[in-house]
Amino acid sequence: MTPEDFDRLQSLMASRAGFRLTRDRMKLAEHRLGPVARREGFDSVDAMLASLWAKPVATLGWAIIEALLNPETWFRRDRPTFETLAGELLPALSRARTGQPVKVWSAGCSTGQEPWSIAMAAMDVGAPVEIVGTDLSQRALEKARTGAYTGFEIQRGLKAETMLRWFEQADDAWIAKPQLRATVHFARANLLDAPTDDARFDVIFCRNVLDDMDPARRSQALDNLERRLVDDGVLFLGADERIEGDSVAFRAVAGRPGLFVKSPTAVRRAA
Amino acid sequence: MTPRTCLIVDDSRIIRKVARRIVEGLGFEVDEAADGSEALAFCAGVMPEVILLDWSMPVMDGLTFLRRLRTLPGGAGPKVLFCTIETRAERIAEALSAGADDYVMKPFDGEILTSKFAEVGAV
Repeated sequence: MTPEDFDRLQSLMASRAGFRLTRDRMKLAEHRLGPVARREGFDSVDAMLASLWAKPVATLGWAIIEALLNPETWFRRDRPTFETLAGELLPALSRARTGQPVKVWSAGCSTGQEPWSIAMAAMDVGAPVEIVGTDLSQRALEKARTGAYTGFEIQRGLKAETMLRWFEQADDAWIAKPQLRATVHFARANLLDAPTDDARFDVIFCRNVLDDMDPARRSQALDNLERRLVDDGVLFLGADERIEGDSVAFRAVAGRPGLFVKSPTAVRRAA
Repeated sequence: MTPRTCLIVDDSRIIRKVARRIVEGLGFEVDEAADGSEALAFCAGVMPEVILLDWSMPVMDGLTFLRRLRTLPGGAGPKVLFCTIETRAERIAEALSAGADDYVMKPFDGEILTSKFAEVGAV
């Protein structure tokens, strides 16, 4: 891969996915694109990129973009987040919605560990939920939909007891049980795209996604999240993520790292 | 503050070494035992706060050790994490009902072990 190739990949990632492909990821990018080139029938990464630059962005372009996203995730990542969700938010929201399912969006769900973690937390406290998990990567979503994880993946964040309760063993894989699967629906979505329908959520998880975004695109993504969130809903970002300067639509909740609510201005604008 | 203590019970010296490095990284003082009987003798003297326990070992296996540990005075105290190559669901359930606090399937890495320690409240 030439430095020019990398520059072009950087701008492709920024414009299509809002993703900040930093220079220190050049080696990683080359490593990730090898399997894509083989799968797409090219002799080398260089040959694949030459073909990409010659044509408009289509299937190949998205396959490349997907491979360069950050798929890192695990079960119950940031455990205090799930304690706040199960201990405080879901019981309160369930009461406020008078038993109607609480609607939750896991935005940037990668291979599905986050929506399954939300589903387990909700079922543990008996709160009915409908969860939508979205990601930009079709391949990540394909894996999420299978609900199947290796021994390595399943025990990263899950206690054995929880694993046995919600997952079935099949050969080397651990597969989400039907009652868990019934609560989660997966779909592809780009956080840069404005909503085209009026689906709204009570709780949005968008954790460790904005940190990887191009600063210029963060406010756009946050605006789109704000439009999808009901006025009394909550947004979870990663425990260490900060959005001051990116958006006036949300304000941080004191004492709850990663938890945000709509700011009064955003609520007034909607009214 | 006195450092927290962890006993690593495994008949493989290499596994003990790998696990020791990770557990020390979590701020624990580590002791080692090569089988259940050695571990039981150790615990009769000083109860560690956490025990990482292999299943299949010579002399005394992990499950036998665990059942005997839980009958010792103070034996209910340690958080016991099974850490073994045995991955069948029914064997995991057996270990949990024998009194294990959690279960780590080999192979494992530092992230998995750290998250398991966090889930049982050891860190």
